[in-house]
Amino acid sequence: MRLQFILGEIGSGLRRNLSMVVSVILVTFVSLTFVGAAGMLQLQINQMKGYWYDKVQVAIFLCGEGSAAAGCATGPVTPEQQENLRTLLESPAVSQYINDFQFESKEDAYKHFKEQFSNSPIVDSVTPDQLPASFRINMKDPEKYQIISETFASQPGVETVIDQRQVLERLFSVMNAASLVAVSIAGVMTVCAILLIATTIRLSAFSRRRETGIMRLVGASKIVIQLPFILEGVIAAVIGAALASGTLWAVAHFFLGEFMSKQYPDTAFISPAQTLLLAPALIGLGVVLAGTSSLLTLRRYLRV
Amino acid sequence: MIRFENVTKVYDQNARPALDSVSLEIDRGEFAFLVGASGSGKSTFLRLVLKEDRATSGIVYVAGQNVANISSWRVPRLRRGIGVVFQDFRLLPQKNVFANVAFAMQVIGKSRSVIRDTVPEVLKTVGLEGKERRMPHELSGGEQQRVAIARAVVNRPGILLADEPTGNLDPTTSMGIMGVLDKINQNGTTVVMATHDDDIVNEMRKRVVELKNGKVIRDEARALYTSMIPVVGQSRRLKDASGRDDAADTSPPLPDRSPRSREDQL
Ligand SMILES: Nc1ncnc2c1ncn2[C@@H]1O[C@H](COP(=O)(O)OP(=O)(O)OP(=O)(O)O)[C@@H](O)[C@H]1O
Ligand SMILES: [Mg+2]
Repeated sequence: MRLQFILGEIGSGLRRNLSMVVSVILVTFVSLTFVGAAGMLQLQINQMKGYWYDKVQVAIFLCGEGSAAAGCATGPVTPEQQENLRTLLESPAVSQYINDFQFESKEDAYKHFKEQFSNSPIVDSVTPDQLPASFRINMKDPEKYQIISETFASQPGVETVIDQRQVLERLFSVMNAASLVAVSIAGVMTVCAILLIATTIRLSAFSRRRETGIMRLVGASKIVIQLPFILEGVIAAVIGAALASGTLWAVAHFFLGEFMSKQYPDTAFISPAQTLLLAPALIGLGVVLAGTSSLLTLRRYLRV
Repeated sequence: MIRFENVTKVYDQNARPALDSVSLEIDRGEFAFLVGASGSGKSTFLRLVLKEDRATSGIVYVAGQNVANISSWRVPRLRRGIGVVFQDFRLLPQKNVFANVAFAMQVIGKSRSVIRDTVPEVLKTVGLEGKERRMPHELSGGEQQRVAIARAVVNRPGILLADEPTGNLDPTTSMGIMGVLDKINQNGTTVVMATHDDDIVNEMRKRVVELKNGKVIRDEARALYTSMIPVVGQSRRLKDASGRDDAADTSPPLPDRSPRSREDQL
């Protein structure tokens, strides 16, 4: 009975304040979309980092079938060449610069590739043979990349030495800056949302002061009196959060999945399913936002 | 049922107290009028019973419980034991008579079937049978006050507080309302009614507690609106009501419990 009563109160409150409720929905929608956009950018950065990015800085790719590089004149890397490279890596001249290194076989490379490009159609057209084996080196000082490059680039069996940080870092810094902008906008919008929710609850409490006054007098509990107001804000915020989640999913599905992944087939993009992982966080954020803001408002404007 | 022990209520440090060291006991099942000029503290008295405000000093007991010791989450339970009626009815304009009364039961979680049984019964007690579906604006003032009374007593409170319930009604209608309150009192509910209406008080012949500047200056059983018993320094009380507010400031302070001639007090 009490639950039914509270639901009825929420319904009438939402109807009575429809325009305010719609604006709360829209403001939370926009602010949480920006929060989610920042989240998506971070997910995308992780996706592009792949298996090795946080573990090593420099990769020495070994010659494979049909490698055109100068060091590959003798065809695919031979076991002896590979052993020589390993010895060189362990020699004091080189090992003073590196923490450790790992060998990635073609099979390992294939496995990591499949993980990173799981959302991309390219994964089906690649076989382990097409991927080069490599040594992955964790540098003591990433700035000393030149030394490794000069030592190994001309070694037989080495196709190329790359500093993958240099390749990606520029892009990542742009994406991080974009996340920061998104988070800042989200911050401002969140303040808007909090204030708007507070105003809505205040108006709502004012327009129902007769009811709440009577409820107090006949001994309704604090929860029965306040819950309809709080839930009113929370429901609006949850709808906003759901719209934001839907928007992120649509961006991942249509923009990244259908458009970007065709434009840049060699880039790993996040999947729509991954963006849905953000949805609970956004909804939770919406609930917390609306809940605290309405609780604080009610403390001031609704005597119980 | 209600006991005040040296209760003082100060709203504003610079003004005189709204209630000044009031000691008073109202027994279970009693019917008491609170009378006194505007600003004498009648409404303040009722607010303290409801724990709408806290006393500045002194102790307020309601149903044997010191209200100062009731934690805020248990205040609703205190209020469920007290019905309140106001001069301005305070009905919900968009709800009909039945729904207005049912509202008081819904918000404390009474089941639908209990509500369906109880509300018509209470409406009958206040003389509104057959008007369940009317909206408040389709009722006369007296009828609206009956709805308000029905709402106040539908949860069977032990105490009914009425703050000038007949203030907006004509004399005939007022007597009708008094009949309803009397009936509720006969059923065992303690009734405390603040009023300015001398005709009613004189007609009912119930206990009268008179307040002046926050002090109890008279407490008489089966009394009239103005005192029949000359009190020391209060001979002016025998005068007409219109002339009773002068001269008082020079009179010596009275004891909190003025002479009472209430046999039932023994
Ligand atoms: N909330 C408040 N804040 C400050 N002062 C108040 C408040 N409520 C009442 N007072 C003061 O307390 C005194 C007693 O007021 P109260 O309302 O109890 O009088 P009353 O006897 O009910 O008067 P009336 O017959 O006009 O209703 C008055 O002087 C009033 O100004
Ligand atoms: Mg008053």
